[in-house]
Amino acid sequence: MKPAIRPRFSLRAKLALLSLLLLALPWVGYRYVKEMEALLLEGQRDALVATSRAVATALHDRPQLMQVRPRTSLSSQSASIALLPGEELVEAAPTPAAEVESDQPAVAEVEAILRGLERTTSRIWVVNRDLRVLALAGSLRHDERAESGAAGGNGGERLTGWKGPWYALLARIMPPGGAALDDVVDPDRVATGREVFDALLMGAPASRLSRIADSGVMVVSAAHPIWSGDQVLGAVVVEESTHSIQSLRNRALERLLLLTLAGFVIAAVLVFGFASRLSSRIRRLRDEAEGAIDARGRITPVRTGSVAGDEVGDLSRSFSALLDRLARNQSYLESMASRLSHELRTPIAVVRSSLENLHTVAMPQEAETYMARAEAGLSRLSRILSRMSEATRMEQALATTESERFDLRTVVNECVNGYSVVYPTQRFEGDLPAYPVWVRGAPDLAAQMLDKLVENAADFAQPETPIRISLKFLSAMAELSVTNIGPPLPAELEGRLFESMVSARKRDGGDEPHLGLGLYVARMIAVFHGGTLRAENLETGDGVCMSAEFRLA
Amino acid sequence: MGRRIAIVEDEAAIRANYAEALVRQGYDVAAYADRPAALAAFRSRLPDLAIIDIGLGDEPEGGFTLCGELRAMSARLPIIFLTARDSDFDIVSGLRLGADDYLTKDVSLPHLLARVAALFRRVEAISEARPQEDLLERGPLRLDAMRLVAEWKGQPVALTLTEFWMVHTLARTPGHVKSRDQLMQDARLVDDGTITSHVKRIRRKFAAIDADFDCIESVYGMGYRWKA
Repeated sequence: MKPAIRPRFSLRAKLALLSLLLLALPWVGYRYVKEMEALLLEGQRDALVATSRAVATALHDRPQLMQVRPRTSLSSQSASIALLPGEELVEAAPTPAAEVESDQPAVAEVEAILRGLERTTSRIWVVNRDLRVLALAGSLRHDERAESGAAGGNGGERLTGWKGPWYALLARIMPPGGAALDDVVDPDRVATGREVFDALLMGAPASRLSRIADSGVMVVSAAHPIWSGDQVLGAVVVEESTHSIQSLRNRALERLLLLTLAGFVIAAVLVFGFASRLSSRIRRLRDEAEGAIDARGRITPVRTGSVAGDEVGDLSRSFSALLDRLARNQSYLESMASRLSHELRTPIAVVRSSLENLHTVAMPQEAETYMARAEAGLSRLSRILSRMSEATRMEQALATTESERFDLRTVVNECVNGYSVVYPTQRFEGDLPAYPVWVRGAPDLAAQMLDKLVENAADFAQPETPIRISLKFLSAMAELSVTNIGPPLPAELEGRLFESMVSARKRDGGDEPHLGLGLYVARMIAVFHGGTLRAENLETGDGVCMSAEFRLA
Repeated sequence: MGRRIAIVEDEAAIRANYAEALVRQGYDVAAYADRPAALAAFRSRLPDLAIIDIGLGDEPEGGFTLCGELRAMSARLPIIFLTARDSDFDIVSGLRLGADDYLTKDVSLPHLLARVAALFRRVEAISEARPQEDLLERGPLRLDAMRLVAEWKGQPVALTLTEFWMVHTLARTPGHVKSRDQLMQDARLVDDGTITSHVKRIRRKFAAIDADFDCIESVYGMGYRWKA
């Protein structure tokens, strides 16, 4: 029972997902810039309140202010720009012509003050209690050119190559601050401003941040009442666009975006590289661990990262140690048969030579029977022993055998002819191709392998059924198979049939000892020929087919 | 006078059994349990034939060493390895060191005695230069069954006893397939697993003299035959 494995989700993908957390950085930066912007705006409002206070201070206690006629140039400008007809009306109709000539010098002084305001960097309105505009100075557009020189102006000629999409992207994220600002002179704006009401009605300075209706420009405005005695004569309204702050913010955001993006790319590349390397090492370790025990049951040591100082190295080292122990155990088991036979040979020689010496001594008749039995047992024992060391001998033989190119068909053909002599009671059917089958290896060994397969098939074949030996071409291999009718392979031997000392034989082997080494040797030979050996039940379930593959040469 | 045979074998029971069997055949037998004792005895007097085990006491390769030392003392002294080790590597090492034959311990006593007798016969035949009898000629091959000498195109082929008997069996009836069993019996081998490697060695020895040698033919599934 294997536990269900959850859907495959590689280490690299996980780390890549984790590195997405880095994307929080630009957001944090964005929040920070926003904070800064709010702070700057606050400062600007304070500054504007101070400006309005300063202007109001100059105008306090000058009742003649109310006699000032709006400057023609300004009023005409305001009239021409203001689109509402009502405004024209407000400005033109109640012209206080009667009050104009009352205090000329004072009025002139006030006008001088108001003229002086034109040098300002903000737009300054002076309104009376009726919200009529007495003076308008400055422009919202004042530093546009200076700004564009710093930030937006260079966009024109550089919007080529990769920068085009880049600025397009930036513009999506941050709308350019008041780039398209017209100098909207809209007395309504002033008239409806909350800060103006605050100043006029409550006599308190106030400020607000508002958006000019169509252009989307943010404007900060501050109003301060003008006192004359206890009376509020009017208000000074100072307006300034937030363009400079916005473009500052935009530049900060732009740089932030660029930096964090670059940082993200670098970090992502590093994380990705690290993850790739880590997972490739682990994958290599896995592949090696999987391949460490090959089809023959041979164990090769794991090498990946065996000198690395980290956990993967540790893992690889413990794998190596594990496999090493396994290999030692396995080679002990494999060599046990041959060592056992070697160790047993000496005591058997003692018994044999003693028995043979006994022959020379005169013995009673009954003793002869026992002698014969002892010798029969002994010879069987030594056959077992020589079988046991056969696998080892074959291994040594394989190590020293040179490969040659030979025609497998001839070998198989001769073998099939020979088997009818060796197994007189058994029928054989050969099914060979019409062409030579050239393979690389040793013909002796190939014949020996076929011997083993046929011997095995003959043991299991039901009487009166033929053993089929067929040789046919697969794509790049030749397949030699031996089929017999008989009991199917026991399920518990699935995949273990070709291991050393594994035998499917249940009945007593009679004279010939069966140690389960025959097929083991056969597989060694198949592997020597660059092929494999496998056993499967016939589809009809009444027989077994053993097939060996040979690489064609 | 009886011929003198030295047995160097660390297993007391085997040593005694073989010694008694050889004594019954009329040989003088001197048995030694380890290499130093044997070597000391050989320095004072060389035996006529030595049967040596490879593992001697605490020397796992003591027999090889002893064989080399003996060969240095006498180039003609017949030496037989009689050992439990049956790997190709040990057999080749033993024969390279100049042993005349290599037997594993499951050889039966009669076989051992036959080998000993054959080796003595060869020594006699060579030393006395008797008229050749029991001669077998097949084309360029000449087998002298008395002296156990094989020649190919006039050049001697250095075959061990086992190999000689195998060639003899095959060449006696050219064209007939000799099964592994027959070869085993005639060559007095005990184990059919080693037949293949013996045949391979024989082919190589002939090929060393004549690169075109291909008279021993494998008949897969049956055995071998001598191609006339």
